[in-house]
Amino acid sequence: MLRAFRFIIDLFTQRHGIVAFVFFLLLGFTMRQSPEAVKKNIVASILDTVFYPAQMLLSSVDAYRSVAAENEQLKEENARLRQETYYASEGLQELARLHTLVRFDDKWDFPIVTARVVGHNPGRFLTTLVINRGTHHGVKENMPVFSMNGLVGKITKAAYSHSRVQLLTDPNLKLSVIERKSRVVGFLESVDGRLLTAMIPSHAGVKVGDTLITSGLGGIFPKGIPVGTVKSVRLADLDVMRLMDVDPFQEFYTLEEVFVMEKDPEWIIQELLDE
Amino acid sequence: MNNLRWLKVFFAYLLCFALQLTVAKWLQIFEVGPDFVIILTVTIAIKFGPAAGCFWGFLAGFSQDVYAPIEWFGAHTIAMTVLGFLVGQLEERFLTLNLPTKVVVLAIGFFLCDMIYFLLTGLQKDVVTNLFFSKTIPECIYTVIVGAVVFYLSSGKKKSRHV
Repeated sequence: MLRAFRFIIDLFTQRHGIVAFVFFLLLGFTMRQSPEAVKKNIVASILDTVFYPAQMLLSSVDAYRSVAAENEQLKEENARLRQETYYASEGLQELARLHTLVRFDDKWDFPIVTARVVGHNPGRFLTTLVINRGTHHGVKENMPVFSMNGLVGKITKAAYSHSRVQLLTDPNLKLSVIERKSRVVGFLESVDGRLLTAMIPSHAGVKVGDTLITSGLGGIFPKGIPVGTVKSVRLADLDVMRLMDVDPFQEFYTLEEVFVMEKDPEWIIQELLDE
Repeated sequence: MNNLRWLKVFFAYLLCFALQLTVAKWLQIFEVGPDFVIILTVTIAIKFGPAAGCFWGFLAGFSQDVYAPIEWFGAHTIAMTVLGFLVGQLEERFLTLNLPTKVVVLAIGFFLCDMIYFLLTGLQKDVVTNLFFSKTIPECIYTVIVGAVVFYLSSGKKKSRHV
């Protein structure tokens, strides 16, 4: 065994490392060109077997500093109350506008699972978190994740005891949003894995400081979760649209606890996802 | 590398990732923090040569790719492998680098790694320009400062032959 290991090392170190370089470079390009399903499998298996246990261990150092279950319960309640307050103000605004009593079917009556953030990507662009709640606790893929301050992202992979959270800064996550005052729908994404950019029609007159919330149109996130405020507005390629940088309400680097809303995607979205 | 050195480097690798996941977060100023992973890759490549640089660069890049957006998968791995190989050409077995030279190598390596990464991810030119000024330059400066301390501590009182 040791001899085989030595042989491989000798082979790789030949010609000033060029063999090793070509080998690892080819491996890298193979990984890069492989189909998305293969990529996902590689990531899932490495994450479940190596990284999650290691990050769990690391995060337990932080756990000593955090408060116990009682505190967690209070935070959960606090989060629910805050979200309900937002929901209430949303409802009042809608009532005032419509002058009639309507039955809301997008009411947030979903159970909430409290989770601790146990890991994040070690790279310089924060796009993924790992939380210590999984299918065992009722967490499923595509469930919305939020904090006391606002929307965080959604679950992309749920294992038995942990899950991966795709943050709003992940370029693969596109989100339908509405501006609170004008009620105009736009969409939000991150093109560089760092900044959030929203695209909203020019006629909405959205200006710096305005608030964006989820529109509920995507079928995954319920309507009314606060997302962020507009930091700057600029012209898009099309005159009819405005591009705006958005400051999220939740600072992702400092997240310690999050809440998972046990909401399944609406049936039409579920069908599309199943396909 | 002998077996003991492999073990040492392996523990340094684990320690580096522990630092990246904990200390780097606490050291952040305006979302700018040091990149311990690049410091480790450059240190290993200078100390043990291009083959070791490739291997540990590959491993470090892969560890970062596991959490990266799936469409960028493999970009870190390739960038760090190239970095390990190129920096490994300055292996200490053949020439000894003094502290300022190592710091310059780290800075160039950092830029190179980011450029390869941006190239592979296929980001638009204006996005890359924005990232270069808002992320690459400040993080490079921070990493170089931390790297200088690490190089100084790791070299100890060893006499060095200037290049």
